[in-house]
Amino acid sequence: MTSYFIRRFLLIIPTFIGVTVLVFTLTRLVPGGPIERMLNEAAMAGGDQASATTNFGGHGAGSLSDAQIEELKVYYGFDKPILISYLEWLGKVIVLDLGTSTRYSEPVWDTIKSRFPISIFYGVTTLILTYGICIPLGVVKAIRHKTVFDNVSSALVFFGYAIPSYVVGIALLTVFAANLEWFPLGGFVSDDFDDLTGMEKIGDVISHAVLPLLSYMAGSFAVTTLLMKNSLMDNLAAEYVRTAIAKGMDFRRAVFSHALRNSLIPIATSFGGNITLILTGSFLIEKIFNIDGFGLLGFESLVDRDYPVVMGILVISSLLFLIGNILSDICVALVDPRVKFGSGGSGQ
Amino acid sequence: MTVFPQENLLAKRRYRPALNPLTLKQLRRFRSIGRGYWSAVILTGMLILSMGAELLVNSRAIVVSYQDEWYFPTYGAFIPGRTFDLPYDYETNYRELKRVFKERGNGDWVLLPPVPYDAMENDLRSDIYPPYAPSFSSGHYLGTDSIGRDILARLLYGFRITFGFAFILLACNYVIGIAVGCAMGYWGGAFDLLFQRLIEILNNVPYLYVIMIVASIVIPNFWTLMIVMVIFGWTQMTWYMRTSTYKEKSREYVLAARALGATSPRIISSHIMPNTISVIVTFIPFSIAGGITALTALDFLGFGLPPPTPSWGELLAHGMNHMESPWIIYSVVVAIVLVLLMVAYIGEAIREAFDPKKFTFYE
Repeated sequence: MTSYFIRRFLLIIPTFIGVTVLVFTLTRLVPGGPIERMLNEAAMAGGDQASATTNFGGHGAGSLSDAQIEELKVYYGFDKPILISYLEWLGKVIVLDLGTSTRYSEPVWDTIKSRFPISIFYGVTTLILTYGICIPLGVVKAIRHKTVFDNVSSALVFFGYAIPSYVVGIALLTVFAANLEWFPLGGFVSDDFDDLTGMEKIGDVISHAVLPLLSYMAGSFAVTTLLMKNSLMDNLAAEYVRTAIAKGMDFRRAVFSHALRNSLIPIATSFGGNITLILTGSFLIEKIFNIDGFGLLGFESLVDRDYPVVMGILVISSLLFLIGNILSDICVALVDPRVKFGSGGSGQ
Repeated sequence: MTVFPQENLLAKRRYRPALNPLTLKQLRRFRSIGRGYWSAVILTGMLILSMGAELLVNSRAIVVSYQDEWYFPTYGAFIPGRTFDLPYDYETNYRELKRVFKERGNGDWVLLPPVPYDAMENDLRSDIYPPYAPSFSSGHYLGTDSIGRDILARLLYGFRITFGFAFILLACNYVIGIAVGCAMGYWGGAFDLLFQRLIEILNNVPYLYVIMIVASIVIPNFWTLMIVMVIFGWTQMTWYMRTSTYKEKSREYVLAARALGATSPRIISSHIMPNTISVIVTFIPFSIAGGITALTALDFLGFGLPPPTPSWGELLAHGMNHMESPWIIYSVVVAIVLVLLMVAYIGEAIREAFDPKKFTFYE
């Protein structure tokens, strides 16, 4: 088993190289190249968007001389063949040097690091709320199957399942922030945050956090609740629960000490995915609520064509994703002693 | 000795009832699930209506009767204003024409569509600035956006484009996924290993983010966006088909078919496929919803279809920037919620009808 997970960890390397080669090549293979596009757009800035979109590929009336363009190319490493510049980039990544942001003129890693606290705050809170609500809710729904409570909550769960979380976020923002003005229109804290007293600060953060948290939860809420309910129902119908009750065990104890433990296994399979959620959040929700986290940074760096940051974010999020997958498998192996990875079974 | 003509034998062997009893039973079960069935009926109706969107929501008239001659301007090249004795050579403004005919009062008439505005057309007026609030008298039933384009028109044309996109995306993903997945599961070996690695790489790419990276480099149109999304989207179906082909391959009937001398393509296409593909039907609504969601998200972020293409994502972004005109955001959010709920109801009903894994429960 240990050797299996060591092998899985080693397999991260080729996959990681594959992912980055793919994106790195994509950023280089474009006719014209990013530099020309940057210049084009700079020349066209202020012009209307519609004409800018139809006119690309050609050399715009850039105000830079050819020599300056060459200098820029050298600066960004566009002057070398793809493979060489990729290897150079990779060599830097290995020693944790993600390059320098073209927008902030500071190391990419520092830029990314400064956004983590906010994303982690939202990630951890969402995680606690999701599991804290979904597991009990799933249990109650399984025990009270086909009652009014079950049907009403099913409708809610179904809604959360059908509607993507960013649409939920926009709807919440429109109704509760713009219209009813119960909550602020976005951001992490108010502008006058520093002037507030301790309690007011907490209140301020909470009032800013309610709507984004609701939209984050809308995504994972439905899936986790249904998973919990269905797996508990399957287990409740299993022979061993029947046996326990036949031997005179209390129904409540049969549920909590026998069935529940086994039905938590499917929940564990998705646990590793949370690492991505905690650290990177969702750029859609961060964009909607204007939360200055990791996701919004990824979006802004794309809009500003800050490719070092874009690649840095890609590196971190794909590494987290790969590690998260393995973490899920480790979780499953921990909670379910029947699972044996490595002998023919695929971990996916 | 009687010799059966070869054709006859073949014809007999190829014969399959159009709908076998199992499929009929599944369809009946689907019909019995009320909300899924009615969602399917309504959504199909909306799709058919949106095919003829030009006749419902358009700045061009449906019929113009002028000096006892009938014109149908909806499709085809535009009809210059001079045709109707108006003082210009560019395309006729039919809303104005209707007024002019009324003034002239000599029996000519114009039949305008129910919503007489086009999705790209800026309806500008001299007295007020857009966005205009919804009003029945102006024909902007859901109002306009900030540059005077009709919301209902943009919703309807956006609906058509989004669904068209989602359906084509689905077809491409499924065709590639089923073909590659079957081949991987059936032949295994080096081919399987190679594609496994490729799929693992593609699955570990942050999907939406990479599409945004590509879209930020090549400004996408409908087809380039489609290609990019297919490149990163075909893997899901492939993985499913690989596993189920792999499972079916070791079953006795495949062995029997091979013993009878059936070739590999034949075993795959007429023995394994019918047994694996039926479950795929249950995935379709979810893929459609996924396609709609992804395209809308990309449009919302500004990395999707180029302006001025009518799209729901663009309307969402527009509505968020114009919260003081709430009809924009409410119209589009309600439209998205309704459509996605209907798709999800259909998906739920199909899954119940085709894959009746009844959950057991404690009695």
